[in-house]
Amino acid sequence: MNNSARESILGSIRTHLAASPPVDNYPVNPANPVILSKTDPVNQFKESVEAVSGHCIITTNATNVLDQILADLNAKRIAYSDNPPNAHDIFHFDVGVSTAQAAIAETGTLVLDSSCERHRLVSLVPPVHIAIVNASAIVETLDDALALLQQKEISSAITFITGPSRTADIELTLAIGVHGPQELYVIVDGSK
Amino acid sequence: MNHLSSETFKENARAALADVQLRGALKNATSLFGERRRQAAAGLPNWEDLRSQARAIKDEVLLHLDRYLEEFVANAESRGAKVHWARDAAEANSIICGLATERAARIVVKSKSMTTEETHLNNALEAAGMQVVETDLGEYIIQLANEPPSHIIAPAIHKTRRQIGELFTAELGMAPTDDVDQMTSTARMKLRDRFAAADVGISGVNFAIAETGTIVIVENEGNIRLTTSLPRLHIAVMGIEKVIPRFSDLDVFLKLLPRSGTGQRLTTYQSFITGTKRAPQDEGPDELHIVLLDNGRSRMLAHPVTRQSLACIRCGACLNACPVYQQVGGHAYGSVYPGPIGAVITPQLMGIAKAAQLPYASSLCGACREVCPVKIDIPQLLLHLRGEISPRKGSAAERLAFKIWARVMTSPSLYKLSSVAGRILQRVMPISRAWTSGRDLRPIESKSFHELWSNE
Repeated sequence: MNNSARESILGSIRTHLAASPPVDNYPVNPANPVILSKTDPVNQFKESVEAVSGHCIITTNATNVLDQILADLNAKRIAYSDNPPNAHDIFHFDVGVSTAQAAIAETGTLVLDSSCERHRLVSLVPPVHIAIVNASAIVETLDDALALLQQKEISSAITFITGPSRTADIELTLAIGVHGPQELYVIVDGSK
Repeated sequence: MNHLSSETFKENARAALADVQLRGALKNATSLFGERRRQAAAGLPNWEDLRSQARAIKDEVLLHLDRYLEEFVANAESRGAKVHWARDAAEANSIICGLATERAARIVVKSKSMTTEETHLNNALEAAGMQVVETDLGEYIIQLANEPPSHIIAPAIHKTRRQIGELFTAELGMAPTDDVDQMTSTARMKLRDRFAAADVGISGVNFAIAETGTIVIVENEGNIRLTTSLPRLHIAVMGIEKVIPRFSDLDVFLKLLPRSGTGQRLTTYQSFITGTKRAPQDEGPDELHIVLLDNGRSRMLAHPVTRQSLACIRCGACLNACPVYQQVGGHAYGSVYPGPIGAVITPQLMGIAKAAQLPYASSLCGACREVCPVKIDIPQLLLHLRGEISPRKGSAAERLAFKIWARVMTSPSLYKLSSVAGRILQRVMPISRAWTSGRDLRPIESKSFHELWSNE
């Protein structure tokens, strides 16, 4: 049944393509790379995170900064991505803490790779997400990040995160934190 | 005004034009989206190159669609996904209902998918005894209101916050309010409960990468991440045209899609899913099933003009730019795909007889073509479809009229005579009521250019 659907669709594609007159192909202009005006990806990353309503702290002592944020938030129940709760308990935490394997300066994006970051829901479900990323892991562009992901066998799940969860589905009014966190803190570890 | 038919576009449009609240909402939405898109595009100096590149990639895929689909399927299956082929909507729905029923599923959470709107999957799942919950906030609102989406990326754009507040109070027991944050948090709580209980998650697909077997899904809310992570079974539904060749091609499309849709540099979340989880203790569903839907798409490959329809990345920019959509909104089109792209896709998917008015729902101004991130020549497509609708030769009267026109235009003396006759005739008889019912026909000047010239 399924095999016949497959053969039937592929057959239909081939028949209709064969019936088609030749086309004028669009010329492929290689897209000119955008030259970034800034040469400092760490500071550009911070600006980009803040532009999408996230907080970004650059530090050489990430552990201290993390403890300080958790204390300021008065967080009691904290989920860590390397020591995760059961998937259905995840709904009962105040804060989720993860690392990120890379980050993109031009967009303020965190890259979470399932081969390192097995439990990415801690970055989504609790009302606050705190991510720690090494300064050396920040690349300049989206293109750089995609190239990085292709250097090894691709992981089963890769998640890009740019700012806290948002929606504008009611009268185009921005609401932060619909299904995901309302607050995003990114700690850039300048020592690594 | 829900569930209108494409066959009655003219009546639908007339009713929409009388709806003052709808027109206000449309004006706000389309002008805001349009302005954000313009600014986002202006922020990339190589915008035009990116558009050409995106189109070239799509053309390359479509000309070898069989090969790229087979490559995608082989790579996805080698990483643990199971791929199903569906010739039409009924076959897709039957595959999906079968997968859910075999696993004794009762609760299905869905993230936004135009393809499953096209197949009316929710009706099929409900008929099979399942509870189906749309989890995108806009889709959730229109599901509660039992209405179809009115915009590709903002499905509930036709509703005011007051209407939504009343709906939430009636359906969800929310204390009366028109505070957007309050409504959003009510939906969040209700939907979390459904996510926790769901047996199946159904999503769409934005891009399917042949080279790696990866599916890519973009969003702002986080409901796609929940839909594709929490339930044990994930079913992704995609049209066969969604495949792109290489992972590196994403650079172009992830630049164009969010900027064209909402004016963002990137949406909040991109999920790149390649097969199933690698270690049993990892987060994520046990099974990934991908349904490839044809439903009339392969037919569009037969002609270079219609083939363009398959390049669409569903950004919604042409809706916001279209003077017709701006006035009548999405429901009038009577299709899950409204606006200029809907006017060309709907007749091709549903059969031209069922949507014969839609290719005429355009002034051919070309605004859609200007904003399209993959350079689809929508006016050319509209004309092509009009050509299929109208009989090749007009009526006898029309043929006679054009014969006379040609004779007059090729003879200076007859032309001179006709301009005099025209001035008189215009005063004594109404000309073409179809043309003048909606606009004024300017009176012919009392002296022709020739007369003015010879008087000089």
